[in-house]
Amino acid sequence: MYDSIINVAGLTVELGGNPVLRDMDLTVSTGEIVAVVGPNGSGKSTLLRCLAGLQPATSGEVRVFGEPPADDAAFWSRVALLTDEPAWYPGLTAREHLELMGAVHARARMTVDAAMEMFALVERGDSVPLNLSTGQRQRLSLAATLLRPSALLLLDEPERGLDADFRVRLGDLLADYAAEGGTVVMATHDPGLAARSRQVSPSGVAA
Amino acid sequence: MRAVRTYLRSHGRAPATVLDRYVSLFALAMLLAVLGQPLSTMLGGLAGPVDPARAGAGVALIALALAGFLAAARAAGPVLLPAADASWLLLSPLNRRRLLARGGRALLVIAVVAGVLLGLGALAVLGAPDQLVWRLLGALVLGVSVSVAGMALAVLAQGSPSWQVWVTAATVALLVLAVVAVSGQARTVLAAAASVPLPSLAAAASGAVVVSGLLVRQAWASLSRIPTRTLLGSSTRAGHVATAAVSLDPGALTWIAEDNHWRARTLTSRRWPSLPAPLALAWQDWRRLARRPGRLAGVFGAVALPAVLAQAGAAPAVVGVMVLAGAMVAAAMGVSGTRRDGDNPALARLIGVGRRPALAARALLPVVLSGTWATLALAGLGALAAFGAVAPISGMPSAGVPAGALGAGWWLFGLLVAPALAAGALRMAERSPVDHSMPVIDTPGGSIPTGPVIWAATGVDLAVLGCLPALAALLSPPSAVGGLLMAQAVSGVLVLAGYVWRGRRKRAT
Repeated sequence: MYDSIINVAGLTVELGGNPVLRDMDLTVSTGEIVAVVGPNGSGKSTLLRCLAGLQPATSGEVRVFGEPPADDAAFWSRVALLTDEPAWYPGLTAREHLELMGAVHARARMTVDAAMEMFALVERGDSVPLNLSTGQRQRLSLAATLLRPSALLLLDEPERGLDADFRVRLGDLLADYAAEGGTVVMATHDPGLAARSRQVSPSGVAA
Repeated sequence: MRAVRTYLRSHGRAPATVLDRYVSLFALAMLLAVLGQPLSTMLGGLAGPVDPARAGAGVALIALALAGFLAAARAAGPVLLPAADASWLLLSPLNRRRLLARGGRALLVIAVVAGVLLGLGALAVLGAPDQLVWRLLGALVLGVSVSVAGMALAVLAQGSPSWQVWVTAATVALLVLAVVAVSGQARTVLAAAASVPLPSLAAAASGAVVVSGLLVRQAWASLSRIPTRTLLGSSTRAGHVATAAVSLDPGALTWIAEDNHWRARTLTSRRWPSLPAPLALAWQDWRRLARRPGRLAGVFGAVALPAVLAQAGAAPAVVGVMVLAGAMVAAAMGVSGTRRDGDNPALARLIGVGRRPALAARALLPVVLSGTWATLALAGLGALAAFGAVAPISGMPSAGVPAGALGAGWWLFGLLVAPALAAGALRMAERSPVDHSMPVIDTPGGSIPTGPVIWAATGVDLAVLGCLPALAALLSPPSAVGGLLMAQAVSGVLVLAGYVWRGRRKRAT
């Protein structure tokens, strides 16, 4: 059906007349972890938004799973996207957000208890997400993203707000995910996370 | 303090000139000239006795309005400062009472206006058998005294917790009064109150003035004792309101209130029921609602309002619109998940349930809520008609018509409008923020900003469309409602199904 999970050819994106991405090529195959690196404003997030089908390309072609990405349920059942902090549902605790995620997906990758343990949220399970610290909220977002089954993870700065120990732990979790056959594309400023991945800079030149 | 105000004024707007004052006075005079004629006609219409059953319901409505006034005053602060003053002047060594005096005067004006309305309302429901002018004056003085006293109580409560008990007690007493008045227990008392001799009225009015004067003096003295913390709290709240009103959109306001509520709550996680995916997603709204039983009880306590309105002699159209609007409010309580996903679809994408299954599953709760509300409200109206007190909607079974098939038909409307109201509530939850780039239409009566108007109408439009048969039945009651019931059943289901199936893509944000 398709050889590689992601195929980007000659991708150019202009935002308000400014070229953000210019003639970018990228191929990602199954089980790879790709780190999109580069200075602020180099188009890392824009590339992720193009891959998620949320940003139309000015020219060029983007194919995910062999077809252009579409913002629909079939696409999101295979792709898990984590960019900015999501808006939490009112009236639910942190744990209940994970329970909801587990209840909606038939074959969750781990139990809620395991996720609470893994992301060190056990003590704060009964808190409303807004009462958690920035790092804890990011861990909750990551837990929700990794709890659900997916074939492709798109992460925008997953290290945001995390302490040094947990950044290392996150690298392990992503390696486990890839070992299970998943593919990861993330924009990151963390040298540790980038070192464990194939590095790509949005100008289209692989580092 | 005066120096600070002078400084601020000199750097702000230019002071009012003679021309400004002339324009204000002229506008006031014009307003009086325009409103004078209708006002005097209306006041003349107040003369004469009224039906005691109507008076009971009317007094209940006035008691509810006063309780709402007290609750709103408590919720607002009521003493607050503009956000800039709160952050720059409040934490300075300026005289606290002088700083707050301006806000205090504004509160006094608000209380006086509310009191005038209350007095007029009281006279309208009790009637004036004789001496209209004196009774009007007495009612106005009483109304203003009561509302000013209420505002003073609220100010005192802001400064000390012991006064808060009094505000709560007053609110509860008003609610009890409303229940007693509407149940008809107090008919003789009300009749006596309506035809109270003038000297007693004068005594009551002067007593009320003295009591409210004392309370106002206390409140004025307490201004300097209000803790900075509560002042800051109420002032930043007002700041939120102002920013949301001018720059963002009203939808942001409800999120601030909602998020603040949940931050302050202690919750216990409970297991998620094992349901099919879309229903498991929709369960969030059910759980949120179950965690706020007070709000649920409040909204469902209001099912009696249409019956009370009808008993107070409101027009059938007003009662009918009240039933639909109340049911729509009930439906809107159960759509927070749809609103959140409409504002920020990140979590919805992680959950990965399609838009149609999610909407269909999430429509269940608003359908149940609005259906229950409207059915109860219509059943209340039907019971009222069956008792023979009044026929609130002229086609409904009144004392003359035996309550049979027709009676059953009316409350069925409650169930049948539910899908349309749920569709309206969902559309309201999914609407985009106010589009301030929409043109402003200038009319002789003033300019109309179309953006906010369209925003406000989004959702209501769909509900009205789906409820047309029921509206037709409520506004001009037919002899047999069977045909309209059928039409309502079809239009309600069609509107909801159409809304759920309409293939609009999520906004790509």
